[in-house]
Amino acid sequence: MDFPRYAPYNPNTKEPAPYIREPMKILMLGWEYPPHIAGGLGTACQGLTTALAGQGVDIHFVVPQLFGGERAEHMSLFDAKRTLAVGSQDPGSAPEVAELALPVSTTRIPAFLSPYWSPGQFKEALAAITHQHVASLSPSLRNDPVARALIDGDVFGIDLVSALEHEQPTVVAGENTGGRYGRDIFEEVERFTLQVVSRFSKDDFDVIHAHDWMTFPAAVALSEATGKPLVVHVHSLEHDRAGLFLNTQINEIERFGLVHADSIVAVSYFTKRSIETHHKISGGKIHVVHNGVYSHDVASESREHKTWPEHVVLFLGRVTFQKGPDYFVEVAARVIPHIPDVLFVLAGSGDMLPVVKERVEQLGLSRNFMFPGFMKGEELEELFSVADLYVMPSVSEPFGITALEAISFDTPVIISKQSGVSEVIEHALKVDFWDIDRMADFIINALEHPELRHDLVAMAREELKKLHWDVAAVKTIEVYHDVYRPEM
Amino acid sequence: MPAVCLYFQVHQPYRLRHYSYFDIGERHDYFDEELNKAILRRVAERCYIPANKVLLEAIRQSKGAFKVAFSITGTAIEQMRAYAPEALESFQELAQTGCVEFLGETYYHSLSSLYDFREWAAQISMHSDLMEREFGVRPTVFRNTELLYSDDIGAAIGELGFKAVLAEGVDDVLGWRSPNFMYRVPNANTKLLLKNYKLSDDIAFRFTNGGGSLSPTTYASWIHELSGNADIVGLFLDYETFGEHHREESGILAFLKKLPEAVLSNQEWRFSTPTEAAERLSAVGELSFSRLTSWADTRRDESAWLGNEMQRKSLGRIYDAATLFHGRYIQDEAMTAARETWRRLQTSDHYYYMCTKGYGDGIVHQYFSPFESPYDAFIAYSNVVKDFAAECARAPKTPTLRVLAEGPRVQP
Repeated sequence: MDFPRYAPYNPNTKEPAPYIREPMKILMLGWEYPPHIAGGLGTACQGLTTALAGQGVDIHFVVPQLFGGERAEHMSLFDAKRTLAVGSQDPGSAPEVAELALPVSTTRIPAFLSPYWSPGQFKEALAAITHQHVASLSPSLRNDPVARALIDGDVFGIDLVSALEHEQPTVVAGENTGGRYGRDIFEEVERFTLQVVSRFSKDDFDVIHAHDWMTFPAAVALSEATGKPLVVHVHSLEHDRAGLFLNTQINEIERFGLVHADSIVAVSYFTKRSIETHHKISGGKIHVVHNGVYSHDVASESREHKTWPEHVVLFLGRVTFQKGPDYFVEVAARVIPHIPDVLFVLAGSGDMLPVVKERVEQLGLSRNFMFPGFMKGEELEELFSVADLYVMPSVSEPFGITALEAISFDTPVIISKQSGVSEVIEHALKVDFWDIDRMADFIINALEHPELRHDLVAMAREELKKLHWDVAAVKTIEVYHDVYRPEM
Repeated sequence: MPAVCLYFQVHQPYRLRHYSYFDIGERHDYFDEELNKAILRRVAERCYIPANKVLLEAIRQSKGAFKVAFSITGTAIEQMRAYAPEALESFQELAQTGCVEFLGETYYHSLSSLYDFREWAAQISMHSDLMEREFGVRPTVFRNTELLYSDDIGAAIGELGFKAVLAEGVDDVLGWRSPNFMYRVPNANTKLLLKNYKLSDDIAFRFTNGGGSLSPTTYASWIHELSGNADIVGLFLDYETFGEHHREESGILAFLKKLPEAVLSNQEWRFSTPTEAAERLSAVGELSFSRLTSWADTRRDESAWLGNEMQRKSLGRIYDAATLFHGRYIQDEAMTAARETWRRLQTSDHYYYMCTKGYGDGIVHQYFSPFESPYDAFIAYSNVVKDFAAECARAPKTPTLRVLAEGPRVQP
């Protein structure tokens, strides 16, 4: 069927954009949703769905678990048991198919696991959750948002606690997991798959849209069960996250989804190339849709009454191999002798945090470092506002949405060339992640010369206006149209 | 009898290396000799040498009816002498025909006219000396760096003894007036010769528009159409247009070869050098410039070099250093070298690379820049200036540079 040519969309009217087939219903599968996020995935899902809904797309979004406090008035946000998030649009009930039996070996744990936890952290979290004993958590987990939400107790009911007590989960690192994921993440993926198929396959939708590998098995199963076209959205690849320790099982699940998808959305050309190289997928079905950012007023108060030191350089992200926190420390060691009154803020949690802290102490840089842990909400905004410079030294970064957020707070950015965001932002200081001297050269000059920061921000702010989520939504709708199969 | 005034700009800067913050205090070789050599040799082979040959033949064939003018910066001459002496000789050969005029400008292609009149005058005088030495004639017509011009600049040029000055024929300055006549600097006898930017850009930017190349006869016919409505048509171009910006394969050198004959095929038209035109033509009136103009970018103003904070701060810093050198009798070797470095750092190209304009203009700036981005250009430049300033500040401790701190011991 032919779709009408695209016409400029007027966001002020409540009408669907004229180029959208009426009705366009999307069943979307995700793994996390703000404010309970561990990485950029949830933020991207929120931005994209908000813009899609604004253009008249009807979205049912399913995550394994709701934690309370999710704000999703623009769509219907479900957990895998089909419980609707408070305040989200009620689509009415859909007929349920017969509940599928769970394999006996699967433990009865809801899908609350963070895919970013190591097996050790996972085990520790389970123990603490079971006994509701926060103090037993190591510092890296105490600040973990998922763990925190779980322990705060508003997340799971009595049933779960008793279930956990009765069935001791088996937490074993798989043979090829590279030690980062417990076996249970796969059980969670399996459970999510079964729940989604049993509770959502009778819904009325046109296209399935799945975000990252954890949802791929569910998406493929749903597509096979319903015959609806499948779009998979790659925010990051196992290859990017894992570095040398590739988890072959995740890699296989990822490939399974990519092969079965009718169309693939990649968040950057960088990611598209990775998909082509590592999964041998033809570039023809991969479409690049860069992430966007919502502009907002800069929280200038923090800047004005700043109790912060003269110069603040910010790193923000998971403290893992992929994000290059170790490079951040080495760069700091080069900068501090020349600019003694600088504070390096390394915000985030992750498996490398203890190593990174140890290195900071070893280099004698503790006075110039701050580790506030995982930040969100107002604390995060304050950090972005007071920072003179945001540094993203990622070894491999499919997109890097935090760089856009930093710019939206008028903070200039240094980004690694190994990032998707460097494709869309020209007005940034760009450097190879391994080039520590160059990065230090950038930081010192940016701190010493306000005019450099001023010009970077002035120009980047203009670029940001063109990176609106609405642009990403229009491109995504094009992808939907490509795969849409009208009923005969 | 109307005339075409063909003028070519020849300039090569001393480009900076990717000088890092960690080079400060460690090394003082700021300029990328290898890169500068490679670029100069490339441009000499693609443009200077073959295009000069074309011009020389055209002058001989036309028995002197074909004439052109050049302005060649000091930094270009120095680098030609060092890396491609045959290119410099081919310019000298052109000079000997008597049909080629060499215009005055600043030796270092600097923006000193906007910051430091005294330094500006010194660089113009250095350049005039150089022209006389290399080509045997002292310039009588002036063109400022990148055609930067204002009423103040026009007035000052008259006082420095030049007969005429070149400027961009900007629409908003000209209003209803035509660029194709000789004008006069307000309240002075200095003539003002304007660039016809439409016809100049037809060669510089639109030579290969629409697939094919511009033919010399078509182009000459556009000039001939101006008969009865023009005294002098100023075609001012970067010389690198011929063979470098447009490669030889585009037919640009063949165009240059045929152009003189095509223009002269109409008996009414001839070629004229700027000095000839200034002597022959009387001004049709005074022309006052309401703003600072140049031949760069779409705005044709100073924004290509002074458009952002990085550029303004960098320029401010380098001209603050003037106090180290002005009013001092400099004889000392180290001092002379320091001043030479200071002047090379004034070359406008360094600021041009820092330009952050987008799209059309930005692409042109990036085309010329040896740096990945305007920010890289700014950082390398800032590091160099920091080291240079530190070296100068250190000077009093070393006897050779004591003059920097103490001032002249001997008055000339």
